[in-house]
Amino acid sequence: MNLQLNPEDLAFRDEVRAFLKANLSPEVIYRSRTEVHPPNEDDRRWWNGVLNKKGWAAPSWPKQYGGPGWTPIQRHLFEMECRLAGAPELRWQGLRLIGPVICEFASEALKKRYLPPILEGTEQWAQGFSEPGAGSDLASLKTTALLEGDEYVVNGQKLWTTEAGYSELGFFLVRTDTTSKHGGISMLIIDMKSPGVTVRPIEMINGDVSTYEVFLDNVRVPKGNLIGEPGSAWTQTKFLLANERTSSADIDKAQGDLRRIRDIARKTQKNGRPLLEDPVFRQQLAQLELEVEALDWAVLRVLCNAPSHHPVAASASVLKIRGSQLQHKLTRLAVDALGLRSLRLYSREDAFGASASDAWPELVPGVMVDHLYMRACTIYGGATEVQKNIIAKQAFGL
Amino acid sequence: MDFDFSDEQKMLTDSAARYVRERCDLDSRRKAAKTPDGFSRQHWAHFAQQGWQALTLPEAHGGLGLDMVDMAILMEELGRGLVAEPLVDSTILCGELLVSSRNEAVASELLPLLASGDALLALAHRENDGRCEYDTQVTARAKPVEQGWILNGSKHQVFYGNAATHLVVSAEISGEMGYNLFVLDVTSPGITMDVYPLIDGTRAADIHFSEVAVPPSAQIHSAGSAAKAMDSAVNNAIVALSAAALGSMEAVMAMTADYLKTREQYGQPLAKFQALKHRMAEMLVETEQARAMLFCALAALQGSDMQERRHAVSGLKVLMAQAGLFVAGQGIQLHGGIGVTEEYAVGHHYKALMVFEKRFGDSDFHLARRAQLLT
Repeated sequence: MNLQLNPEDLAFRDEVRAFLKANLSPEVIYRSRTEVHPPNEDDRRWWNGVLNKKGWAAPSWPKQYGGPGWTPIQRHLFEMECRLAGAPELRWQGLRLIGPVICEFASEALKKRYLPPILEGTEQWAQGFSEPGAGSDLASLKTTALLEGDEYVVNGQKLWTTEAGYSELGFFLVRTDTTSKHGGISMLIIDMKSPGVTVRPIEMINGDVSTYEVFLDNVRVPKGNLIGEPGSAWTQTKFLLANERTSSADIDKAQGDLRRIRDIARKTQKNGRPLLEDPVFRQQLAQLELEVEALDWAVLRVLCNAPSHHPVAASASVLKIRGSQLQHKLTRLAVDALGLRSLRLYSREDAFGASASDAWPELVPGVMVDHLYMRACTIYGGATEVQKNIIAKQAFGL
Repeated sequence: MDFDFSDEQKMLTDSAARYVRERCDLDSRRKAAKTPDGFSRQHWAHFAQQGWQALTLPEAHGGLGLDMVDMAILMEELGRGLVAEPLVDSTILCGELLVSSRNEAVASELLPLLASGDALLALAHRENDGRCEYDTQVTARAKPVEQGWILNGSKHQVFYGNAATHLVVSAEISGEMGYNLFVLDVTSPGITMDVYPLIDGTRAADIHFSEVAVPPSAQIHSAGSAAKAMDSAVNNAIVALSAAALGSMEAVMAMTADYLKTREQYGQPLAKFQALKHRMAEMLVETEQARAMLFCALAALQGSDMQERRHAVSGLKVLMAQAGLFVAGQGIQLHGGIGVTEEYAVGHHYKALMVFEKRFGDSDFHLARRAQLLT
């Protein structure tokens, strides 16, 4: 057992810090730290390219496909440093979800066509999983893809397809066989500009649009765009999720949130003194800071495959539950710290720095919309209640 | 960084788990609670054979020289079995105070006895007015005389004071600032005690010192080093007791899951009800966070930054107590009526966790300390 970071890891962290310091401008940092959803798309694509030149764009990919060959701990340190430095958060769908699946399961032709633009950030992806009738019970999805000659003809409707409105490509779960529930599902790559693809924005409670409905109406897709064998998408989906076992803990965001709360509390007055000196507030912040610290160590334990009394699937669900609960609490404490000012609704332009004044300082925009947006985090990626079912079964055989 | 157990650590876990499985059933615990000691001398002797009292003590003085990670591994297993023997009080808390002492003579005399289990030490530090070891005002006085001191004063609720062979006593030397620590044979003339049971079946004592002659050789820490040594020793004690608390939580979850599978109502096992399954899942979420925090504190103990240690240990104390009482409380609830009976283990774990929460500064104290350390 060695509970300290190795010297190589510490040196790695220093290297990452220096790189971030040299490459991020104050404007980019400011926009990222507002936590406005969705983030500035230009910043994300630009940053994707910058990291790619350094060979750091795809930490979770195998080295032969362009991954940097880091250990899980190094990936974790990298992501934490990026968040704390105010780097734009890269789009997940290509780099973290479909990229590793293509590396693992797709044909050479698909790898050659689709992997390089993901690394460069020039093609962004949408994840077409949920449907109106298939949310938590994903396997009841109804979108069909029927083979006609060399093409699949796709019909159906997808829901909660995040960032679909400005994505070049999508990976969709489709039913290629209607006789088997899990075994009839395949993963298909669809060009979002194909005839028959209609994208409709969904305005969310944060007052912005980050997710979409996608209608697929006789969309014709080359047969070769199916990943692996027909009917193997369930295995691929499990692989995709196992690859991201700790990311749903959102630990780097939680650490960033703690910093934001401190910043607000230092600059906000209560009874003529900084809020950070108020004993009741300090107690609340201390409790959350402690819960984040524990979550951080829980993430480290999963990353290191620490011996456990319970299966790793249960541990991953534990991280998702606690991480998302903490997002609710942290973003709420940030709102509370800000008080009345948190109620102002900003346009995206104003939020990204156009409106700052003494009365409305730069730390105001984004706080409330982040909280509102984050109400979704206990719902997306497997709702809390679904995670609890998983734990009860995996850890206790219930 | 890795969390893997070494072969020696695996052996330690296995032997402790086996002992708990074979010998630490609830009946034996309930019987021991009814003896005057409040714990089992048989267990204590067996621990000594296994070298558990010696685990963290220095090899030069008959110890095994292992560290707090090993101690935590042992304590988690013992916690599963509601082990109430004073391993932590005697060898971690008081042992650490002896190890950090510059009084070589007393250390080399007592540490081997501590390691073999022949000596049992209890800490007599807190007084009537203090809520915990951290905030107590030491009013016990050691008046210098030609050979050593004369001690007068009272110590409140000394855990295992009834069974101790020696006491580590804090007292101010007249005319000095800050307390000293002395180690006294419990049979020294002038020491009297009122013994009473605690909710977990162990005993504590209010101990009175009246004109007790304290020889010069009894001083293990002067005012210059006592508080720092105490801080360190209490840190270690909290970490070791936290590991035992974690064992309690694992035991509660295991027995509750078993119960849900066997108990039937409305024509089906309780395990079929989603509300109950979800409660179990919540218990694991809390337990896993507490376990993570244990490793955070163990990592901090390996470092030399005192502030960082306090920060991590206080965090551990808060989270483990919050999680522990939640888990054991839910364990009782899911058992229904039998959960609140004396003959069923889940309620005993709840009591053990309540004792843990109150000792060495309660959750409020440690959360306030974390709040103070916020920057």
